[in-house]
Amino acid sequence: MLTIKILGPGCANCKRLEEIARKAATNMGVEAEFIKVTAYNDILAYNILSTPGLVINEKVVSSGRIPAPSSVSVWIADALKAA
Amino acid sequence: MMSVITNMLQGGLGNLFAYLAAHVLLCLLPAFCIAGAMTALIPKETVTRFLGRNAPGVVSYPAATLAGSLLAVCSCTIVPLFAGIYKKGAGIGPAITFLFFAPAANILALVYTGGVIGVDLAFARFFLSLAFGIGIGLIMALLFRSEDAAHDKATDAMFAGQSAAGMHPAALAFLLVWVALLLAGTLKLGFLTGSYHQLSVPISGAAEFQALLDRLVPYDAGKGEEGLSVHGVMLILLLAAVGLTSWLGIERIHEGFNRWTWIAMGLTGLTLLVAALNIQADALGLGLGFTGKFFGVLATLLALGWLARKRLTEDELRDWLWESWHFVKQIFPLLIVGVFLVGIMRVLIRPEWIESLAGANTLLGNLAGVAFGVFMYFPTLVEVPIAKMFLGLGMHRGPLLAYLMADPELSLQSILILSAIIGRLKTWTYVGWVALFSTLAGLTYGTWVDGASLGLIALFLGAFLAALALVLWLVSRHAAHEPSLQKTGF
Repeated sequence: MLTIKILGPGCANCKRLEEIARKAATNMGVEAEFIKVTAYNDILAYNILSTPGLVINEKVVSSGRIPAPSSVSVWIADALKAA
Repeated sequence: MMSVITNMLQGGLGNLFAYLAAHVLLCLLPAFCIAGAMTALIPKETVTRFLGRNAPGVVSYPAATLAGSLLAVCSCTIVPLFAGIYKKGAGIGPAITFLFFAPAANILALVYTGGVIGVDLAFARFFLSLAFGIGIGLIMALLFRSEDAAHDKATDAMFAGQSAAGMHPAALAFLLVWVALLLAGTLKLGFLTGSYHQLSVPISGAAEFQALLDRLVPYDAGKGEEGLSVHGVMLILLLAAVGLTSWLGIERIHEGFNRWTWIAMGLTGLTLLVAALNIQADALGLGLGFTGKFFGVLATLLALGWLARKRLTEDELRDWLWESWHFVKQIFPLLIVGVFLVGIMRVLIRPEWIESLAGANTLLGNLAGVAFGVFMYFPTLVEVPIAKMFLGLGMHRGPLLAYLMADPELSLQSILILSAIIGRLKTWTYVGWVALFSTLAGLTYGTWVDGASLGLIALFLGAFLAALALVLWLVSRHAAHEPSLQKTGF
């Protein structure tokens, strides 16, 4: 079970990122809990400078851009291996 | 009554079409692409790394202005970024400089001001924003230095830990070629605007079509109205096609490039090329003039195509397309609505009102410009067509600059958000300084426009700055008696 956090105040890019991450998890058949982090203080706690940010199991894998679905799949696979 | 409404609608639509045909293409289209490339291809850490508290003032303040002009395009992006850099430990001074400079003098705003109103006003906007942004940052840092020191202890040196990933050379080249395209398309130099080859395409009815357009969109250069040409109609149609294909090709680009993506890119290039031609309708048909601009745009487009296909990674290309499209979606509809409403307002507002209030470069006129800027909230960049309308209605260029300085900086909405981040006292202090400096900027620039010598203006500014420095020195001496004082970054 992975915990995937989407960091961002709810802008269009954050929604797109969440969509991509959900789709990647579903395609891989991975069970994941999605959490949207929208408060600035909580976002900044992850030490990123720009949103949207993607956090898998408390590790920041991407910030400031929307990653390609293929990269998200790789990160999910890495997180599964590490777990 | 009916005729008043028809007049208003005609004014609004006329303004919108004239605007789309005249200004959008060679200035806004490349500007959106540049803004997208900056967001997608410049790692933010590279720029903001120098804003940290450990950086000396001579580095952090210029870095703040650079970050402002490179990173942020609209106020909705700036406030979160401001919150980010402030909470991560940037001093209040550079953070404020960033906040001030970014909305007024980012590349999109400057290019647009230069294209629509005039290069002189764009330069004035740039230099005065630079001077005042740094000035207000320094003042805020001095006024709130004890609190700033406390803030310093609360945040650690997060900026130091950032990796300094540089920019990939091909990405930099891509960005620079876009800037070259923008310059080739918008600079008004003889070798760019002159035609080198004439071609006549026999299309019957072109002249009649132009006559029809002149009746539908009446123009009056004296009132700042522009009219619509056959060339303009072609461009508006092409623009609509670009919008449609981008929607199909870029909206879902994260699922991969499709046919429409390439068509949208091709059509964008074609639109830029057509915009660079000089097309006139005459009795024979359409006369095409191949201008220097056209060859400049063609050469840069070929370079861009080669870079995009051979040198940029697919990720970079996708991020760039997405971010540019994102800007277009975010800003363009607001601009269209804004320009339409400006056209309606132009019919309603009497030139006499503007003339009597801000027709001359007076203190009252400049204050009126600032007050209008603060209390009217216009979305990013809409301030520019509004300013153009005021100019057409007889506003003096001094108060106009005061308005242009105040409008993007201050709005009731941004004041509210800001006070949530840095507190009410700091926010209102900031608002006060911005209002003061904007008025001063307008007065100074207006005096220059009216023909005062630079020496006199320098004397006037010098006296003001000396008085300001004296007051601040007294404040800091007062603060020096407090034991909590600590030497900060500057």
